[in-house]
Amino acid sequence: MIKVLDFFDYARSESPWMVHFCSGCCSLEMAAAMGPRYDWERYGYLPTPTPRQADVIFITGLVSKKILPVLLRTYAQMAEPSYVVALGACAFDGGPYNDSMSVIKNVTEILPADVFIAGCPPRPEAIISGLEELKAKIKRGEPSSASQGGLWKEMKF
Amino acid sequence: MSGEQLFQILVFPGMLFILVWAVFVFWFFRKLIALFHKRVGPHYNGYMGSMQTLYDFAKILTKESITPKGINPYLFSTIPILAPLLAITPVAFIPWSGVGSEIVHTEYGVLALIVFVGVEPFLLFLTGFGSNNKYSILGGIRILTQTVSMETPFFLSALAPALLFGTMNVSEIVSETTLLTSIVLFPSFILFFISVLGVLEQPPFNIPDAEQEIVYGFYTEYSGTNYLLLKIAEFSEFLVVFAMAGVLFFGGTECFFFDSFFCLLLKMLILAVLMIGIRATTPRLRVSQMLNFSWSYLLPLTLLNLAFILFAKIYIFGGVQ
Amino acid sequence: MIEDFREYKKNWLVGKVESSELLEVVKKVKEEYRTLITISPTDFLERIELNYFFTDLESKKSLWLKTDISRENSKIESISHIFGGANWHEREAFSTFGVDFIGHPNLKHIIISSDFYGKAPFRKDFDIEAHQKEVEKHSLDIASNFEDEFSENSDTETTLNWGPTHPASGPLRLKVGVDGEEIKKVSADIGFVWRALENLIERKDFVGAITAVERICFMDNTNSMLCYAMAVEEIAGVKPTPFAEVFRVILGEVGRVSSHFMGIGGFFGTMGLHTLQMWAMDSREYFLDFLEDYSGARIATASIEAGGVRFPLNLETLNTLEKAIEYYESKRDEFHSIFLKNPMMKKRASQIGIISADEVHEFSMAGVVARASGVETDIRKDEPYSAYEKFDFKVVTKNGGSAKNRFEVIFEEIDESVKILKQAVSDIRSGVSEGTYNLEKDHLVKVPKKLPKGEAVSRVEWARGELMMHLVTEEKGKTPYRLKIKAPSFNHTMMVEKLLEGCTISDIPIVFGSMYICQGDLDR
Repeated sequence: MIKVLDFFDYARSESPWMVHFCSGCCSLEMAAAMGPRYDWERYGYLPTPTPRQADVIFITGLVSKKILPVLLRTYAQMAEPSYVVALGACAFDGGPYNDSMSVIKNVTEILPADVFIAGCPPRPEAIISGLEELKAKIKRGEPSSASQGGLWKEMKF
Repeated sequence: MSGEQLFQILVFPGMLFILVWAVFVFWFFRKLIALFHKRVGPHYNGYMGSMQTLYDFAKILTKESITPKGINPYLFSTIPILAPLLAITPVAFIPWSGVGSEIVHTEYGVLALIVFVGVEPFLLFLTGFGSNNKYSILGGIRILTQTVSMETPFFLSALAPALLFGTMNVSEIVSETTLLTSIVLFPSFILFFISVLGVLEQPPFNIPDAEQEIVYGFYTEYSGTNYLLLKIAEFSEFLVVFAMAGVLFFGGTECFFFDSFFCLLLKMLILAVLMIGIRATTPRLRVSQMLNFSWSYLLPLTLLNLAFILFAKIYIFGGVQ
Repeated sequence: MIEDFREYKKNWLVGKVESSELLEVVKKVKEEYRTLITISPTDFLERIELNYFFTDLESKKSLWLKTDISRENSKIESISHIFGGANWHEREAFSTFGVDFIGHPNLKHIIISSDFYGKAPFRKDFDIEAHQKEVEKHSLDIASNFEDEFSENSDTETTLNWGPTHPASGPLRLKVGVDGEEIKKVSADIGFVWRALENLIERKDFVGAITAVERICFMDNTNSMLCYAMAVEEIAGVKPTPFAEVFRVILGEVGRVSSHFMGIGGFFGTMGLHTLQMWAMDSREYFLDFLEDYSGARIATASIEAGGVRFPLNLETLNTLEKAIEYYESKRDEFHSIFLKNPMMKKRASQIGIISADEVHEFSMAGVVARASGVETDIRKDEPYSAYEKFDFKVVTKNGGSAKNRFEVIFEEIDESVKILKQAVSDIRSGVSEGTYNLEKDHLVKVPKKLPKGEAVSRVEWARGELMMHLVTEEKGKTPYRLKIKAPSFNHTMMVEKLLEGCTISDIPIVFGSMYICQGDLDR
């Protein structure tokens, strides 16, 4: 029985599907990671059109005030267990838009990310290696960071 | 219940076979479409990524199944159980390993196949209607529109072999198929294949789950086990229609050199390649264009084709015996 | 009526009008200049100066009108009934500068998020720090209003929110009123990627502004830097070396090609076919290799700055570019026969999204969209900048203005760009062998850190159309005083609303995809 359960845990780590959500420039490099040269499907990643079937959501770069509720709503629509990957400098502290009046600087405080991929924008290789990190995290059996806390739980959206 | 029956239900051509087929064909589709895309497709899990789809299915099984608020939960969750059951049933009417090997021996096998394949879209329409989602409802309505207009050519073209051979018994059709009949039936096969694309919502007729237009159509609200069951229904429908095409038009398990199950499998895979080839090169049609195509070209052509079959039956095969 | 009327540069006139006479002047202007480029307000603390830029796509002449209004009572007649393209530009000025346009049919806030409503965030006296202190409250407010905003249905009509998380939309929302499959009304809700770049740049120095400028849209980021650099050079009175000019053309065309690859892929992607997207991405990678070889980054190159290009060129880098061109040309025929001649695509796209030439003039369409409707406009030819005069290429135009025509224009422009690239590469090679170009030293001319007081307008042909920047500097200014960015997608999205009326839901992605919109330059 233990072996069977192990298999399911392993399977869960090996097939992260991601929901389509883009809010910034990093989605361009995400598209490149899907493309022929980098092809992240080799590792088992697959984009899916609806959040209901997805395991991972990407914070693709900057999150403006206007799109924040959309991000949170999309995350909340995903079926458990669901993970968050933050992409690019903007997702960490606003990056090049740090001074901007309309960009949220602490997205990962609101919606904590499991993996942060650095770069502006991160290269496709970096995105893939970040996703491998996520796989390792799922293999270790750790719960997703967003389920453990974050300001989003207190927000109404 | 005898041991043989249990084997047929649980292993071949029942549950296990369907599951293995679903896992395999999902992988096969992904690998093939990747080839057309100049990509590699699943690669690192198992030999050539062959374990990937098994992991995918296992993962979906362990995910949360969400039932949205404000809907009828019984309708929402019953359809995903009914859909695969209904999709698997026609497997019993197909002679998988040679003439006379179908589980249910009946004189009306062709009719049973047509009915079971044809009724499936109506179930999917109910999934769309029961989801309380604008996109799902649109997807449901689109399924209904498409099914109504695609099903007539579907059963008219599927009945062509029955007309030619004068029987609806699938095994008899298989045993009477020769190279000449396959050639005569080739136009019917093409029409059958086109209308099957329509009935199964495959490109260029993937209008009901058009990602760019209505998100995922009737699938939009489904997650976890429910989604997996619907997907298995979809893949077992592929199994049934591919096998149906192989059996009705190309002699099923019979090849030039040897007769076996693998011969039928080969024919089915060729059809799968054809389908993916179309998927990789053809953009989606609009609803109105699909309607126009179906009623003003496809249906008249299937009728003409029936006339041609009758003609061939009288002048090539020597009339009604 | 126009005071201080003079020539600004070739084919450009500039003049000043009284704000009360503006409407009459604009009516006369319409006879000669049929297109409004943009409206750019500048806040001078004692007055607000409104700059109206007009052009005529046929005669290639342009006009720049200035008018002053008071800050406290900032009202002016709307010109949106004369120039259809002014509609959203006036709404933008209303949102960001609080200018009230009298007689505007639908003067609602656009782009800015709801916490800035009525606060005129781009005015110089707007206290950003005080506003930012309450950022938490603002985002909570926006979030809690979110649900009401997204569920608007009436008895007879359903509202579909096409976006912002729709698989084909990107961060933009089309509120589509539908009756079954038919579309009754479309209104676009934009501002999901609003980064307030125009304001952000005012707090950066002239070099630092490049990072902000290139992020207008990453699909083609080199040309936007080029536009900004040209404006700074004009005020500083600096001219780059001939080598830098030619190399700017190379960078600009590589940016255009890599953007066009995404454009053709995206167009087919909207019809559920991803093969072209993948194939185009395959070829695009080789062009990005060149950018990476030169600047170290794939898309965020920061490679063009005022005075030239940032890095000296190693001649071997050009081999990468030649390899990319060779690779694309070996694949070109496949692209052509499978996708450009695709009968299904023609069936779907040749009847919808039709824009007539008159509408191009009226609603300020630019670039690919204008050329697909038979209007021969291309800033590279009309107002040649950099070294474009040296090179031989033709302006691709199509008659018909349908979604299919726009796709064809994008496709054929890749070939024209490749043609320019080949000429420019051989120009650099021959320049080096003749000794006229010095790759080590010629790349950058020094531009002073403090610029004199001045105003400049620069236009470049971006991948998606005309990009215009209006730069204002103060005496000894270390930072831009005001930078207005006019990007093509703004008008194109406005047009999508009109194009979609009467279509069906299936047409939304394809019309939207054919307009070649990038949300980055839509919101800025």
